[in-house]
Amino acid sequence: MTTLITKTVSKACVPIIILFSVSLLFAGHDLPGGGFIGGVMFASAISLLYVAFGLKYIDSIYSYQWDKWFGAGLLLASLTGFGAMLFGYNFLRSLYMLVSLPLLGDVKLLSTTLFDIGVYLVVIGSLLYVFKGTGEDE
Amino acid sequence: MDLFTAITLAVFLPFIMAGILPAAEKVLKNRIGWYATATAFLSLLLVALAVPSVVNGENVQGSVAWLPSLGIEMSFYGDGLSIMFGLIVSGIGILIMAYSNEYMSKREDLSRYYRQLLMFMGSMLGMVFSSNIIQLFIFWELTSITSFMLIGYWRNRPMSVYGATKSLLITASGGIFMLAGFLVLNIITGTFDIATVLQNESMIETIKGHEFFLFALVLILIGAAAKSAQGPFYIWLPNAMEAPTPVSAFLHSATMVKAGIYLVARIHPIFSGTDAWFILVSGLGIITMLAAGFLAFRQTDIKGILAYSTISQLAYMMAMYGYTTYQYPGIGVAAATFHLLNHATFKACLFLVAGIVAHETATRDITKMGGLRKDMPVTFIIGSIAALAMAGVPPLNGFLSKEMFYESSLEMGHLLGGPLEYLIPAAAVLGGVFTFAYSIRFIDGIFLGKRRSEHLPKHMHEPSLIMLVPPAFLAVLVILIGLFPSVAVHYIIEPAAAGILLQEVHLHVSLWHGFTTALMMTIITFIAGIALYTKYDTIAAWQDRMNARYPWFSINYAYDRIVNGAPGKSAAFAAVMQPGPVKPYLVALLLLFLVLGAIPAMLVATTLVPADLNFNVPPYEGILLGLIVLAALGTAILRKYLHAVIAVSAVGYLISLVFIYLQAPDLAMTQILVETLFTIIFLLVILKIPQTFRENLTRSVLARDLLISSAVGITVLVLLLNATQGIASPFESISYYFIENSVPLARGHNMVNVILVDFRGYDTLGEIVVLCLAGLGVYNLIKSRSDSK
Repeated sequence: MTTLITKTVSKACVPIIILFSVSLLFAGHDLPGGGFIGGVMFASAISLLYVAFGLKYIDSIYSYQWDKWFGAGLLLASLTGFGAMLFGYNFLRSLYMLVSLPLLGDVKLLSTTLFDIGVYLVVIGSLLYVFKGTGEDE
Repeated sequence: MDLFTAITLAVFLPFIMAGILPAAEKVLKNRIGWYATATAFLSLLLVALAVPSVVNGENVQGSVAWLPSLGIEMSFYGDGLSIMFGLIVSGIGILIMAYSNEYMSKREDLSRYYRQLLMFMGSMLGMVFSSNIIQLFIFWELTSITSFMLIGYWRNRPMSVYGATKSLLITASGGIFMLAGFLVLNIITGTFDIATVLQNESMIETIKGHEFFLFALVLILIGAAAKSAQGPFYIWLPNAMEAPTPVSAFLHSATMVKAGIYLVARIHPIFSGTDAWFILVSGLGIITMLAAGFLAFRQTDIKGILAYSTISQLAYMMAMYGYTTYQYPGIGVAAATFHLLNHATFKACLFLVAGIVAHETATRDITKMGGLRKDMPVTFIIGSIAALAMAGVPPLNGFLSKEMFYESSLEMGHLLGGPLEYLIPAAAVLGGVFTFAYSIRFIDGIFLGKRRSEHLPKHMHEPSLIMLVPPAFLAVLVILIGLFPSVAVHYIIEPAAAGILLQEVHLHVSLWHGFTTALMMTIITFIAGIALYTKYDTIAAWQDRMNARYPWFSINYAYDRIVNGAPGKSAAFAAVMQPGPVKPYLVALLLLFLVLGAIPAMLVATTLVPADLNFNVPPYEGILLGLIVLAALGTAILRKYLHAVIAVSAVGYLISLVFIYLQAPDLAMTQILVETLFTIIFLLVILKIPQTFRENLTRSVLARDLLISSAVGITVLVLLLNATQGIASPFESISYYFIENSVPLARGHNMVNVILVDFRGYDTLGEIVVLCLAGLGVYNLIKSRSDSK
């Protein structure tokens, strides 16, 4: 499978897919997308790298510990829930504010976005964790 | 400080101090025991603050909301009974922790030891002051757990582990029965607060007349009996003697084993005065008293003798709390309460003496001892005082409560009439005779007679003052309560009995109270006891022979059979229920679906298929559906893994096309991505396994599989037809709520995402936890397989 064509195409595609997955994550609240889809897309981009170059080669460049990713995601999602409690609301109550930023204009900030980032990280982490575990198995 | 705060603080102080104990240990090093002693002392002071008010009949009560939505609050209630227990727990606690300073070697893990002791003390205090029964249950089980840890303190000794496990299994499962009993009580009364029930006479009447009365009583009594080692549950206490001796003195004689007695006393106002109460509680008590007293003869371990004596002494109290009739509830309450206090003093003292003896002689076998009075005269005197108090010899405190036991037995027998008029007092005297015999055995076997020096170390001497003062203090108490009972009776026993009987109690206890029938019974006890003691070894030998001949005639045998058999039984169960291949699970799941889903659906639906079916499918959707069916068929028929996997992913991609037609871009995108990723994972896996199915199905199995799968398929089809265009739904669709509110409430235009992260965020949190766990599970399954290779 790992022909030169595959390698070259994946080098070109993977950054684009990752950017797209991030845009899916942040667009999710109003347009099709969200943490789950974005996460799966990110995971498939990385799995393309793994398939094209081989686990060992990727690991030799940088060994990702995907279990840390889902750990962090779960922590972030739970902390979002507790964050609402700091302001005296119920667990996981969503908070909202509009902020004017230079260049970007009016941006709405939502606590649910943070929660969605948590979902995103959990999906990426657990999928790739399984993927790598399966791939490493002899 | 108001008294409710004092009680709350007394309960939580030991926990807090246990929490910061490791830090304190860094400073205090080996003197950490004094830190624990000081904690117990502070708790005693805090409890004692409430004594004056309770003696005047004003109980302490208060609560803090804890789980308001469930009606559970943290509430404490201090009446005479709780205060008495609180004083015993913290008071004995001081002595035990001081004694441990010398008893526990400096090389032991002192931090763990004192931490667990303090946590036990806190749990015990919490238990006796709990007003809410759920809270009582939590503290109750905490005492079981801390007791488990303390019995198993020496983790590398198999007998410690055995004893710890046994005690936990029995007391904690008894606790579960008790919880069930509490819940039944809650069904009857509608409250979890025991003080509310006690202060409400009509509520008590309701309970007594309720059809669940007996049910609740039996369940709660099982918990109490398991905790106090009564009836068949006694077997854990002798094995609990593997704990360090101060622990045995504290938990397994003076305090924790009395928790069951406490519970019986606590529910006395609610359940007593009925036949069931008398038969169950007194019956259990009398049988246990006689059996444990008799079985004590065989024991050669000095702590074993004390364990059996504890069981029989607790049974005295049990029997006395059971003495009630309709007209005279609570005949034995004052006597039982007094005996409870006395037992705590002399039994803790005996254990501490046993600890000294074992410490100096390096053995616990009574047959190797004898003649120690010359080496340890002070210990001899202290031990003799305590043992004679247990035997009921005047002028010690045990004599007074034993007399009261006889009196109440006489009165109870007299009220019942018939053969019971003589049987109950006779049983009481017989119990007293056994007690007398094993008490004398303790003194005679250890201190009197000839010194058998071949077994004992050359130089034995009195222990240091740290170990001598606590038992000496208790021995002095034993004498003082015996000579001047009125102080203890006025400040402790009367309020406690008032707490049980719910009315003012005035007792007149004095050392000499005339030449009564009870005194006659005591004299008979002494004479018969001495006579029995001359045959002591003969009886013990006979018991040994019987035990060797009929090993199955014992509760321990049954316990060992059950516990040792459990791993084999569960392995056999797992072998049947979890055979390994996926297919049996799938068959079970699908059959369950058919039974639970299809049959009820058919029963509910008036017609199987709605009459006016709308089969107006556009041609492009028709082609798509046809392709899906084809791909699915391919999955089932194709013989090679690679082909089958590709067919499965074809089904998935085609379904995502359906989503696009149905204008659900989120779903379509997710479906495509997941399908891609899982196809890759599948391909990674099948590279490493044989490429073709090696499954030779017989015709009957094939027919069965076909039948099940088509039945499931048809059921789903029928359910879908009914759901989408058949029966009018009785409920309004919930989607309108989300359509209306997703922008104003959650500021999001993508409803699917808004539901996921906002409206149903809690569900999503649960789902991502599952995702993490599934990831870890799959990873570990793969890794454990390669490890085992």
